[in-house]
Order: sequence, then C-alpha cells, then structure tokens
Amino acid sequence: MSCRAIREQFDERLDGRLARSQEAAFDAHVAACPDCRPEWRAYAGAWEIIERQAGIEPSFGFVERTLRRLDEQPTVGRSWFWQPSVRWVTLAAAVVALSVGGWAERERRQERRQAELYAHVQQADYLEDFDVIANLDQIEGGNHL
Amino acid sequence: MTPSDSDVALMLRVRDGDADAFRELVERHQRAVINTIHRAIGDAWEAEDLAQRVFLQVYRSAKRYQPTAKFTTWLFTITRNTILNEHRRRSRHAAESLEALQDPADPESTGWQAPDTTSPDPAQEVIESELKKKIMEAVQELPEAQRTAVILCRYEGLSYEEIAQVLRCSVSATKSLLHRARLTLKEKLRGYYQ
Ligand SMILES: [Zn+2]
Repeated sequence: MSCRAIREQFDERLDGRLARSQEAAFDAHVAACPDCRPEWRAYAGAWEIIERQAGIEPSFGFVERTLRRLDEQPTVGRSWFWQPSVRWVTLAAAVVALSVGGWAERERRQERRQAELYAHVQQADYLEDFDVIANLDQIEGGNHL
Repeated sequence: MTPSDSDVALMLRVRDGDADAFRELVERHQRAVINTIHRAIGDAWEAEDLAQRVFLQVYRSAKRYQPTAKFTTWLFTITRNTILNEHRRRSRHAAESLEALQDPADPESTGWQAPDTTSPDPAQEVIESELKKKIMEAVQELPEAQRTAVILCRYEGLSYEEIAQVLRCSVSATKSLLHRARLTLKEKLRGYYQ
C-alpha cells in the first residue's frame, strides 16, 4: 500500500473504523515506513494527548438549581434595547412622532409603524430561543440514525 | 433497556409533565452537557449557567419531542445551538463581556478545581498544568464546527453519523472537519506528545 493511501486512513485508524485486515496492513506499513511512522506518531499523539484534559464535575446543587429555573421566562441574553421598558418607550416615541403628520397619513403610517415595531419586538423576544429549538424540527423529522 | 431507550422513555414522561423524569434526565446528562460547553467556552461557571439553559430548552421542547432521534443527538444539538447563541450574544456585548470574562484558557482563573489527577511531584504538576492549559487553548481556538466535532468525538464518544446530525452536515463533511482539526491540533501541541 502506498504512503498516500496509508495517510488517508489515519482518521479511520484512529477512530477504529478500519476492517481487521486493513488495520493489520496499516500497522505493518507504519511500523516499517520511515516516512509514515513519525507522521502517524504525531497525528495519533496529539489526538491521544487531548484526552488528558479531564472534565469538570457539576457543582453541588446543580440539579436543584436547574429545577428551580423551570419557571423562568424563555428570554435570554437580550441587549438593553430590548428590555421591556426601553422597547415600550421606543414604541410610544414612534407613535408620538407620527402624530405630528396629517391625520389620515398619520393613521396609515402609525398602523404600519406599530406593526413593524411589534413584529421586531416579537422577533427579538423569541429569536434566540427559536434558534435553539428551530433545528430540532429538522432533526426530529429527518433522522436516519 | 439501553441507556438510549431509557432516555427516550424518560423524555416521553417529561412530555407528559413528569418532573421526576426531568430530574433524572438532568442528573444523567449534566456532566456531558456542562463539559461540552466548558470545553467550548472555557468558563466553568458560565458553562453551568448555559447547561441549565440547555435543560430548560429540553423541558420546554418536550411537548414537541418525537422519539425519532437518539436523545443524546437531540440534546447535543440543543447544546451546540445554545453555545452558538452565547457566542452571538458575546459578540453583541463585546465591549462589556469579553473584557469582563476571565481568560478562558486559564483554568486557574475560573475558580474551578479540576479533579486532581496529577502526580504529587511539583515539577510534574507544573508540566501537567501547562499541558492542560495548552490543550484547552488548542481546542478552543479551533473553528466552531471543528471544535464541536472534536469535543463530541473525543470526549463524548459520538459516532461520525451522530456528529453529522448535530452539525447538520454530511458524514463526509464531518470526517473532513475532524481531519482538519487533527492537523491543527498536531501542530499546536507539537512538543507535548511523545
Ligand atoms: Zn509510508
């Protein structure tokens, strides 16, 4: 087997995805080849060593604290602009500004503006949670495990 | 019943409003979720906060849960999306958050003590500590998809197919991500392995 073919099997050898006969041929080549041996050692060595990064343990009471958060509203990580007070002040300011125009024009524009703002606020409210959940439909619907 | 089957059974009970089942799911998967996030963002306290958000999403999504996917694949998909949201939030609040965050590559700065697996030899401890820091940096500096693939493959033992589902890409793309990540890790960790 050529050196190139061997190197293309590095990942499968690491992940245990070679057939037994392929694995034997791979190991024999690497043991005998002065070019592939150091390459393989480095490639496999780095992969082996990252396992040394031990995991952390959950802190005491993690489960209880998680359960206590069940009643939290699904609104996370929002910028100050989308805090309820700011957002309604913004909406009110937009409505006031529009009132200086002609009455009919104002009516039309106000409705449109409010609809836009409302849609924007709604979007900001649920954007992040939606993003988190959005993929789930795809994974639920298109699973081929 | 395999762990996977029992996860699905638990999730179906959660869907029916069974709080005990939810508690059991959290207990069972807390370590995997916390560590997946911790390896990606580096901050242990923030990892716990985000892990709680992951479980809250699981709870809130339970009504729509269909047992067509392996539960852990579904769970890691939520975990990945939560991490992506956190990165997005951090970039929005770059000025206030990034400076305030502790050095993610420095395990000491998190105030968190990893389980002590080092030898009592002080010199050896320094080497081990430096190595762990270097590994954490190397993994965190990978592009997001490569990093997620590495974490799920190396630390959580997911198959190529499961990782592909979480990343919403093909199996061959997953292999390519892992290959590129390994090449980068080989260069960055050169001198640390035999
Ligand atoms: Zn060779």
